[in-house]
Amino acid sequence: MKTLDAQASAAAGAADPGWLAARRKAALDYYDKLGMPSDREEVWRYVDLDFTFDEFGLVDAPGEAHEIDTGIVAALPDTAGSMRLVDGHATSVDAGGDRAVFGSLRKLLADKADLLEPYVAQGTPSDLNKFAAAHTAFSGDGAVLIVPAGTAIEQPYFIDVQAATDGTVSFPLITLATGQSSQASVVIRYRSDDALNALVVPNLEFAVGDNSQLKVTVVQHWGANTTSISHLQAAVGRDASLHLGEAGLGGALSRLQLQIDLEGNGSSANVVGAYFGDETQTLDYRYTMHHQGLNTDSDMFLKGAVQGESLSIFTGMIRIDEEAQKTNAYQTNRNLILSDGAAAQSVPNLEILANDVRCGHGSTMGPLDEEQRYYLMSRGLDLPRSNRLLVHGFFNEALERFPEPAIADVVTSWIDAKYRAAQEAGRV
Amino acid sequence: MSVALEVSGVRASYGDLEILKGVDIEVPFGEVHVLMGPNGSGKSTLCHVLMGKDEYDATGSALVDGTEVMGLPVDERAQAGLFEAFQYPVEIPGVSLNDLLREMGEVRNDPEFDSRVESAAATLDMERFRERAVNGGLSGGEKKRSEMFQMAVAGPKVAILDEIDSGLDIDAVREVAHLVEELRSDDLGVLIITHYSRILRYMNPDKIHVMVDGEVVRTGGPEIASELEASGYVDLIGNEASVPEPHVTPFDA
Repeated sequence: MKTLDAQASAAAGAADPGWLAARRKAALDYYDKLGMPSDREEVWRYVDLDFTFDEFGLVDAPGEAHEIDTGIVAALPDTAGSMRLVDGHATSVDAGGDRAVFGSLRKLLADKADLLEPYVAQGTPSDLNKFAAAHTAFSGDGAVLIVPAGTAIEQPYFIDVQAATDGTVSFPLITLATGQSSQASVVIRYRSDDALNALVVPNLEFAVGDNSQLKVTVVQHWGANTTSISHLQAAVGRDASLHLGEAGLGGALSRLQLQIDLEGNGSSANVVGAYFGDETQTLDYRYTMHHQGLNTDSDMFLKGAVQGESLSIFTGMIRIDEEAQKTNAYQTNRNLILSDGAAAQSVPNLEILANDVRCGHGSTMGPLDEEQRYYLMSRGLDLPRSNRLLVHGFFNEALERFPEPAIADVVTSWIDAKYRAAQEAGRV
Repeated sequence: MSVALEVSGVRASYGDLEILKGVDIEVPFGEVHVLMGPNGSGKSTLCHVLMGKDEYDATGSALVDGTEVMGLPVDERAQAGLFEAFQYPVEIPGVSLNDLLREMGEVRNDPEFDSRVESAAATLDMERFRERAVNGGLSGGEKKRSEMFQMAVAGPKVAILDEIDSGLDIDAVREVAHLVEELRSDDLGVLIITHYSRILRYMNPDKIHVMVDGEVVRTGGPEIASELEASGYVDLIGNEASVPEPHVTPFDA
């Protein structure tokens, strides 16, 4: 296993074209300069990073991957293409024909570097924090989807991201770009074994071209000892729309720091989240919706529950530039606290510089509703069953807004099972 | 005829406030009874105390077809055959009526359950509400209809309909009254709680109980309703009794 140093960075970038080599070099400088983030910074508040990069190493070859679980396979009978990223290395690529460019970043850099240049390593800036810098400095591979202008692809692409080797750090890069007036849907699945101790630092970057539609569903189901610090940066063009759903279930600490720039006039973003913490998990979401164009719309709708001694954090920022008149922006974050030892933080923020906008936020936190429970019990449902139905209903409100309904159904069954397991173990 | 519901000596308080002061009511199988009384007399409290809502301290006895339900958890009272149709049915976002019906079926383990659902859904024109959230965005009349639908599929021995006519226009009141008459059977005792006598124009109750200040002060035939309509509660019960004020002041330390 290799430590994260200049040599490892050079090895990861051995086949870089010049433009990427320059980005990597700059990122390595930031990585060396930046310390680990501290909870004294607002964007890292409430989070205790009790590890360093020194505890993890890079591997040259992927470990043994899991097959995709049956629930997901059944929900995705017909994909446009699929691939796997294991320990940061692309494997099992099925490009699904030539309607779009889809495949391993490393491989496509060899063949189509010019096509990739506008999109790859363009998202989250390397100076944002040490993790973002580490990503660009050490990322060796990833998944790329570039949909040509005018092409509409109904079936989703599937990207199965796994950590499989104990003690590794990996930096999967996922770059999605939709050309003008195109349509695509992507499902991203994160997983690892519960026993596996790993650090995964994914970067997701979306370029949503003018008048195009991109749907992305992220199912985060890391194992209990995997830590994930991920970033997502999206730029949405004129009259284009991004529909993002994220389900956060696993991980010891799983963080997603996201920024969506509604650059084009008439662009929109619909961001949905459902997250569920148990035992000592921390689920950490830092979302920024940045309205830049005229007539832009956004909706953030996140529902989270915590049980056991878990912690969830949602901070949502709506930033509306002075030029972004006629903006409609809303954010909702609702939290269920299912046990005394669990906690949730919910921090909405608005920064509005334009004067002709509609904007609002709502944030709630509390236990299951007693009136609702009484109603269900009066129909003959016992207490545990009533609570299960209420938890199911709570998440259903978010999951029914997810981009891929079949995936949402699978997530629903996992959430139901997670609550039931906590009931049986007496954690709620 | 045997007794569906036998309430005796039920007392209940909410904090320091005594609301029910010893209530006795008997509803035989096959009968429809009405419990009337002014606002604040304790009618809805009786309903919740019988169903087992835990915000009251309650004592006394309530037999549902001979089974003592006082002290049981809410769901076991329902399993014993008690059904409450709520005055204000709560909305349950994200839980469809079908989700609830499926759970109701699972806990009942009754081979007839599914066919009752289908036939009641057809009779009560509930089909279009089944995929919607429980009570979500329903009008007052639709909520009452949904309550009656759930009552029909639950197949209770005792149904308590709390202010089933409140907030309804006259057409909806008539519809609810007809539904109650349709559900009347030898296997069911019904207790309708109401503040107004207007629903009684459209149905034929067997008995009327009048509750004032936490006690049943009069029980009799349907003629009581006409007396109440003519003269209100005051004449019936004398000028002494009126809506009780809570014996608490919010500024007591």
